[in-house]
Amino acid sequence: MSLLEVKNLKKYFATQKAVDDISLSIDKGNIFGLLGPNGAGKTTLIRMITGIFYPDSGEIFFDGKKFDPVNDVGLIGYMPEERGLYKKMKIGEQTLYLAQLKGMSRKDATAKVKDWFVRFGMESWWNKKVEDLSKGMSQKLQFVTTVLHNPKLIILDEPFSGLDPVNSNLIKDEIFRLAANGSTIIFSTHRMEQVEEICNRIALVNKGQKILDGTIKQVKQDFKENLYSIGADSLPDTTGNEPYEVIGKKEQNFIVRIKPNDKPNDVLQYLLQQGVSISSFNEILPSLNDIFIKLVEGTETARQFQNIKN
Amino acid sequence: MKKIGLIIVREYLTKIRKKTFILSTVLFPLLYLALIVGTGYMASKGGRKLNIALIDSSGVFTPDKLGLANISDSSSSIALTTLPADSIKSNFEKLGYDGYIIVPSSASWDKPLPPLSLMTTKTMSMEGSLPVQTKLNDLLRAVKNEKLGIDAEKKTILAQNLVLIPHNVNDLKANSNIASVMGSISAILIYIILLLYGSQVMMGVMEEKTNRIAEVIVSSVKPFQLMIGKILGIGLVCLTQILLWVVFIFVIYNITIASGKVSSMNEVIGGIQQVFTSTNMPLLIFCFVFYLIGGFFFYAALFAAVGSAVNEDMREAQSLSFPLMMPIIFAVATMSVVLKDPSGPIAFWGSIIPFTSPIYMMIRLPFGVPATVPWWQLGLSMVTLVAGFIFTTWFAGKIYRTGILMYGKKPSWKELIKWAFRKN
Repeated sequence: MSLLEVKNLKKYFATQKAVDDISLSIDKGNIFGLLGPNGAGKTTLIRMITGIFYPDSGEIFFDGKKFDPVNDVGLIGYMPEERGLYKKMKIGEQTLYLAQLKGMSRKDATAKVKDWFVRFGMESWWNKKVEDLSKGMSQKLQFVTTVLHNPKLIILDEPFSGLDPVNSNLIKDEIFRLAANGSTIIFSTHRMEQVEEICNRIALVNKGQKILDGTIKQVKQDFKENLYSIGADSLPDTTGNEPYEVIGKKEQNFIVRIKPNDKPNDVLQYLLQQGVSISSFNEILPSLNDIFIKLVEGTETARQFQNIKN
Repeated sequence: MKKIGLIIVREYLTKIRKKTFILSTVLFPLLYLALIVGTGYMASKGGRKLNIALIDSSGVFTPDKLGLANISDSSSSIALTTLPADSIKSNFEKLGYDGYIIVPSSASWDKPLPPLSLMTTKTMSMEGSLPVQTKLNDLLRAVKNEKLGIDAEKKTILAQNLVLIPHNVNDLKANSNIASVMGSISAILIYIILLLYGSQVMMGVMEEKTNRIAEVIVSSVKPFQLMIGKILGIGLVCLTQILLWVVFIFVIYNITIASGKVSSMNEVIGGIQQVFTSTNMPLLIFCFVFYLIGGFFFYAALFAAVGSAVNEDMREAQSLSFPLMMPIIFAVATMSVVLKDPSGPIAFWGSIIPFTSPIYMMIRLPFGVPATVPWWQLGLSMVTLVAGFIFTTWFAGKIYRTGILMYGKKPSWKELIKWAFRKN
């Protein structure tokens, strides 16, 4: 069942079609990667989902009902890319304040904050000010304030920027834990290796439109190029009859592309017949990075301004 | 509603706990007192005692009269001398004179004297030489009185002047002197508070924007709620500060009464007491609070809009908020026009238009309601102010919503107005 469903969402600004007819559906408990180059419209899309912007047209359904920004924001936790905290305010107080703004009672919030502070080893921070924290520390704090009220939908925009590997893993584990406990997570980033590691579904947005949507596995299958890596000392001389063509060599492995009418088995059979001793045989699936670049390439690196009449 | 409450409480508590709030609350009345007492003290003690040589070959000024004058007015010392001007000129230091005056030999008590020259080594201002002039005139008058046979009794009769006090037939209680003072004080107080707290709102919004917490907050509350919460919170801080000042004055007043000393302080507070009896104080206090709050809301929303539109740069904020400060500064700068003619057309229009009404109306009100300010004018002014701040809050809310999430180039007022009036 989908927690969030977005139908034909549009938002035009004076000089840009920021979001131009995007539809999405995100299932409960999913970790959904929202990808796209800079200025693709991700932030605008997220701002509509979090009730900050109203869409020009289109509909948002949240948890089966029509999205009601006033009441549903308490069920959403949003960590924007442009984020920050009150520098001069004490950390404990600030966390409580943000939780109460999400609709929690002071008592519940206090218990929750203490719980999270213990989990993240931040007990001694309560009376410190944010300006005393390092960037990584305030990032951790920001994450806590985002998920504190047990939101059904958590939206994280570049959550790992500024974090060292240890703290990155800490946050990553929390993301998995929250998803396992039934929260749905939208994860927006440019770092494809993180997306491959964390997400199970992705959507790619470019120039305000969705150009790709699916599970990571499916997307990779869709974009594979029949490339295989063969571990062998040498390959037989090229005759033109072999079921593959050699693309290149990487260390001890040959990279080959299997010809359209042949199957991997044909290749193995052919090589065995030729007496080649094979140490490994792997399919090379494209990385998300490659797919991203392939799809987005050719569009201008910076989005151009246009005149919109509305 | 609950969320606005949270925002107000946070805003109020952070501002109240700040050192600057405590300092300004305590220091402002002290500084103000120091200013009043200090200027009085400096005026009485300041200035050098001039030592002047008088070369009088006409015999109008006599030594015994001069001696009496030097005793009764010790602000300067004038001595008759027979030394020639040239020798004084070359021996100023040795003789101990600061300057000399030559009275021509043709001078006579019953003829107008030509202008005399006070010759000094240092350039003197008119103000510096005025006490000497007054003293010589007193001397001359004494000589004339004697020659004309006017004794002390006749002198007092001559000195009697009539006094003209303006009274309004519709409001005999109104005292235009006290009204002027009260009007100016309330106007200046409102002026300071509008600028001070208006810019506090602006800085607060800027802080939220540059700290990048704005987007975090507006994902929980509406931008409009955040703006209103901030304005109300800071408004409460402002009221708290004024209340504390009133308490301070009350406490100081009671202390001086108890100590029984007649000091310059006591006079100030005695004046306040007189004000209470000669004006319609409850109405004035009500109106002061009304115009203070109304004016604050009117301007604070606009200041918030400016804060939301600019980035870190203080200069951007200054250039964008300057047009907002203009009417406030203008109103105070033209205060004397209203004081001179509190029911004239400038005073009337200025107290109806909400940009200047908080200041103009507070200048006019002490002159009496309904004698100087008819009830309908007061009502109209209040209605336009309320309508005004409802409009500016709505207008600013639209700008704020766009501005708070917008980074980059500083927009112009033209663009801000565009933001406000475009749909959604």
